[in-house]
Amino acid sequence: MLIARLDIPSSSAIYCGTIGSLPMVALGGHEDLLNETSRTVGLEMLLERCAVGDQAAFRQLYDLSAPQLYAVALRITRQPSLAADAVHDAFLQVWQHADRFDAARGNAETWLTSLARYRALDLIRRHGREVGGVEVPDQADEEPGQLDRLIRQREGAALGRCLDTLETDKRQLVMLAFLDGLTHAELAFRLKAPLGTVKSWIRRGLMDLRRCLEA
Amino acid sequence: MSAEPDDLDLRAAEYVLGLLTPVEAEETRRALTQSDELARAVAHWESLLMPLAGALQPEPPPPLIWQRLEAELGVRQFAQASITPFPSRPLLGRIGFWRGATAAAGALAACLALLLLRTPPTGPHYAAAIAPMQGPAATWLAETRPDGVLVVSALGQTARPAGKDLELWALAPGATKPVSLGVLPVSGTPVVVAATLPRDRLQLLVSVEPAGGSPSGQPTGPVLYAGTLTKTE
Repeated sequence: MLIARLDIPSSSAIYCGTIGSLPMVALGGHEDLLNETSRTVGLEMLLERCAVGDQAAFRQLYDLSAPQLYAVALRITRQPSLAADAVHDAFLQVWQHADRFDAARGNAETWLTSLARYRALDLIRRHGREVGGVEVPDQADEEPGQLDRLIRQREGAALGRCLDTLETDKRQLVMLAFLDGLTHAELAFRLKAPLGTVKSWIRRGLMDLRRCLEA
Repeated sequence: MSAEPDDLDLRAAEYVLGLLTPVEAEETRRALTQSDELARAVAHWESLLMPLAGALQPEPPPPLIWQRLEAELGVRQFAQASITPFPSRPLLGRIGFWRGATAAAGALAACLALLLLRTPPTGPHYAAAIAPMQGPAATWLAETRPDGVLVVSALGQTARPAGKDLELWALAPGATKPVSLGVLPVSGTPVVVAATLPRDRLQLLVSVEPAGGSPSGQPTGPVLYAGTLTKTE
């Protein structure tokens, strides 16, 4: 049996703490140990510490979230250099404005994804997509694994299931718009459909999606 | 843009999805700062739609991104050390308990009872009370878990001078320079130190530093708290 020999100065009160039973949530380099709930809690705590200038927390936040943000940015920009710019700019904002994160308005992952995604959209609208970048699939449904992947995740499960209930055209449009960052006009071109039709399909798709998610 | 609620909601959804032309997107961004209602609608759609990012397989980001951030922000390298918080709620309850317990005369006995009750670890166990060099009682407990990871838990309120941070350092026996283990959270959240440092007789020091931590990578302010990890079995 163990007796802790703690260095306790006689001038101070005696302190003791819990030992050996602490729930571990996040540990650098062991992301596989994290389930998604604790991942989100971990990200929020890391953001809180970035806001007070904790550089180690910033590095940890980067390690945990940059791969997903880079995937999002790369898919939209189709160019590794632009995607890198988008992720870089997003983390610059994280470090400088971590205090603007408001947990009441959404979780940390949503905030981080938004920062990188809006930046990627800005860059692509400004620079245009270069021919010869990463290849664009013809249709969103060519990657059926995407919905499955989403449904397996705690955060994305409801969204994945609701997308699955949408008509194929509406689902394709929502996913192409979100993941590939296509505008109304680009979607109309891609689906060879009139602009007005695309606009109304996507609106109905969004409303159906929300109804399903809020049900 | 009309102020009809449905139009506003639709505009928010289309903005979040990224469907708007650059001009429309810019208009919406400006409107966001003026209209709480629009800002709420955008936040709502973001929370509904952003999980869709999880449909994509994560991609390793090019190392250049971090290198740029490091250079631009002056973020120091934390050699092999990382600190991660974990949820403090279950622990906070116990800290509350211990605050009461430490006030009682039988506190030491209670502490030892707890130590005896814990599951025996598989690896050697090290613990240190990081206690004040002077001044009122306020301290942390540092100890290794069975897997060797070092956990540092605040066991009371730690006052710090306004605009300053408390930074945790490790000084190995025989070493002349301490290694930073990061800034201690104000909230008292326990931190995990996954640094590959020798545990035995590792000195843990807490110094007062400018907000964000020492700019030089070495302590610049007074060391207010200290403790030494000691093997307990």
